[in-house]
Amino acid sequence: MKVLVTVKEVAEVEDDFEIDGTGVDDRYLEYDLNEWDDYAVEEAVQLQEAGDDIEVVSVTIGPERAEETIRMALAKGVDRAIRVWDDALDQDLLDTATKARVFRAVVEEEEPDLILTGVQAGDDAFGATGVALAESVGQEWAAVVNQLDIDHLLAENVARVHRELEGGVEELTDVELPAVLTIQTGINEPRYASLRGIRQAQSKEIAPKTLADLGLEAGDVESSLFLTEMYEPESESDATLFEGSAEETAAELASVLREKGVGAE
Amino acid sequence: MDFELPAEHRMIRDTVREFCQEEIAPIAQEIEDEHRFPQEVFDQLADLDVMGVPVSEEYGGLGGDQLMYALVTEELGRVSGGIGLSYAAHVSLASKPIEMFGTEEQKAEWLAPLASGDAMGAWALTEPGSGSDASDMDTMAERDGDEYVLNGTKQFITNASVAGSVLVKAVTEPGAGYDGISTFIVDPEDDGFEVTTVWDKMGLNCSPTCEIALDDVRVPEDRLLGEEGEGWEQTKKTLDGGRISIAALSTGLAQGAYDHAKEYAGEREQFGQPISKFDAIRDKIVDMHRKVESARLLTHKAAWTYDQGNEVNRESALAKLDASEAARENAEDAVQVLGGYGYTTDFAPQRFYRDAKLMEIGEGTSEIQHLVIGRQLGL
Ligand SMILES: Cc1cc2nc3c(=O)[nH]c(=O)nc-3n(C[C@H](O)[C@H](O)[C@H](O)COP(=O)(O)OP(=O)(O)OC[C@H]3O[C@@H](n4cnc5c(N)ncnc54)[C@H](O)[C@@H]3O)c2cc1C
Repeated sequence: MKVLVTVKEVAEVEDDFEIDGTGVDDRYLEYDLNEWDDYAVEEAVQLQEAGDDIEVVSVTIGPERAEETIRMALAKGVDRAIRVWDDALDQDLLDTATKARVFRAVVEEEEPDLILTGVQAGDDAFGATGVALAESVGQEWAAVVNQLDIDHLLAENVARVHRELEGGVEELTDVELPAVLTIQTGINEPRYASLRGIRQAQSKEIAPKTLADLGLEAGDVESSLFLTEMYEPESESDATLFEGSAEETAAELASVLREKGVGAE
Repeated sequence: MDFELPAEHRMIRDTVREFCQEEIAPIAQEIEDEHRFPQEVFDQLADLDVMGVPVSEEYGGLGGDQLMYALVTEELGRVSGGIGLSYAAHVSLASKPIEMFGTEEQKAEWLAPLASGDAMGAWALTEPGSGSDASDMDTMAERDGDEYVLNGTKQFITNASVAGSVLVKAVTEPGAGYDGISTFIVDPEDDGFEVTTVWDKMGLNCSPTCEIALDDVRVPEDRLLGEEGEGWEQTKKTLDGGRISIAALSTGLAQGAYDHAKEYAGEREQFGQPISKFDAIRDKIVDMHRKVESARLLTHKAAWTYDQGNEVNRESALAKLDASEAARENAEDAVQVLGGYGYTTDFAPQRFYRDAKLMEIGEGTSEIQHLVIGRQLGL
């Protein structure tokens, strides 16, 4: 069985920052593995550990700088990685459809049985790449998965998943493989890479691929979204202070939460 | 010259840093207050292959170099001096000598469990009557058939109460001075071995500092490390590496103190502005930064020199001397920057201050480092 995990290096913005054109000034950015992807990698590695002969491959779209971040996934147990990059991909904003086209080319080459993506990326937060990829390759999919029955998957080739819906409702769904699952944080507890894992990861493969390697052309990755402006919105805050005993204030808080519609009926 | 760390080293440092922030920082004060050795933290460190960073893979270590080990030790020191001290003693003092001087059998039996983190290690040189003048020891090892019989008292031995093995220095040839000292691998389970005191200290209370009584402890001759009479030469080599780890630990303490001071100074407002805007506080924090950087450079240079296989006596003493002062000074300045809050146990600087002071005492006091360096300078 082969599991493909899409991973992304995301920029994290410091508390205080300055905007530079349509982006945040590079001085205020730190790069790290996208939080949701960390959970997707953990889920794939747990699957690999539970089964026999399961290969886990990571794929990313990103410049050479991203290799160190991607190598963290290798350190945690991913077998090998693919990094797609091309001058044509060096755009302000890659829209979801473009990314799905690139990943589709990789999927066609790798033919994985299961694809895991994060629910969303912490930087541009489209929350759509996984589902768009599933559409693009014509596979079943389940989004916002917060529980996956690994034994059932290995035995039946069916992903039995819990999905988190609005208002705290959970849904139980069976999805036949091949399929795409978008993984929610909290599905597992991502491990720390062991130091031996980090050392071994130095010699694991991160195969660089250009668009041409994947049979694509610059015209295939022309984004139809363009960033026009980046600005900080005026913010206003509205705080209510409850005073009194714990019982009184808790009751007041509960009624406010009810009014605002927090929690399931 | 390349000051950039290799990618592998950076990844290891960042992972250990994340672990320290998430798992150790939240309990660092609590384990001090409770005077509790946090076995569970060391178990986790063992799972992450941290306990044998510079020990060869053949014996279950990570096979990293001294620089990698220094980076890891610094990260531990940045959150907990006590955990850092127990770690450094375990690796530099208890594990490395077995790797450097032991037989294959000794490495398999005694080094492997230390390198994997299944057991903690300790190293016993100091005695009640001999500290800086360490070779003037009273602990005796007398040969009796194919055994040695050890008698004496060892003082201030880190980890002795939680150790699976203790390297004990003892005199095998009275009157022979430096050449009369030997090293023995002692199992705390051996009859006659007793931890008689676990000291309450000014700081570092999660790291047990013990007095040991050796009362007719009989060990088989295969517990002799190296040859008879080699104990002092071994000690010097051991401390050359050990001082790099104390330098790294001190750099971590200096960095941790700086982190707390800088963060606080940016948030605390007096006279209508953050206190970091007052020249006096800004200058203090800049000086703290300067001290961290120079301590780290000296530490990395010593580690690098060690990794080249070169003589490192002067470099390691220099790094330890400088970094331990940086740690104490930065910790004191951090208390000052936090004002009254810095003096309370709700804030970390007082803990750094308590912990840092030991760095100018253990593995040779600052006065002894001056002596070592002076000798190297031909003075
Ligand atoms: C928390 C802690 C952990 C320790 N862990 C270990 C361990 O794991 N294993 C171990 O063997 N030991 C350990 N030690 C012992 C430590 O190495 C000694 O305390 C240290 O070497 C100093 O010895 P001393 O305490 O006897 O002081 P002394 O040697 O009595 O020194 C007292 C003072 O005199 C000064 N002095 C002494 N001689 C000279 C000189 N020639 N020139 C100038 N000044 C001099 C010293 O610098 C110091 O200021 C530990 C100590 C502590 C507190």
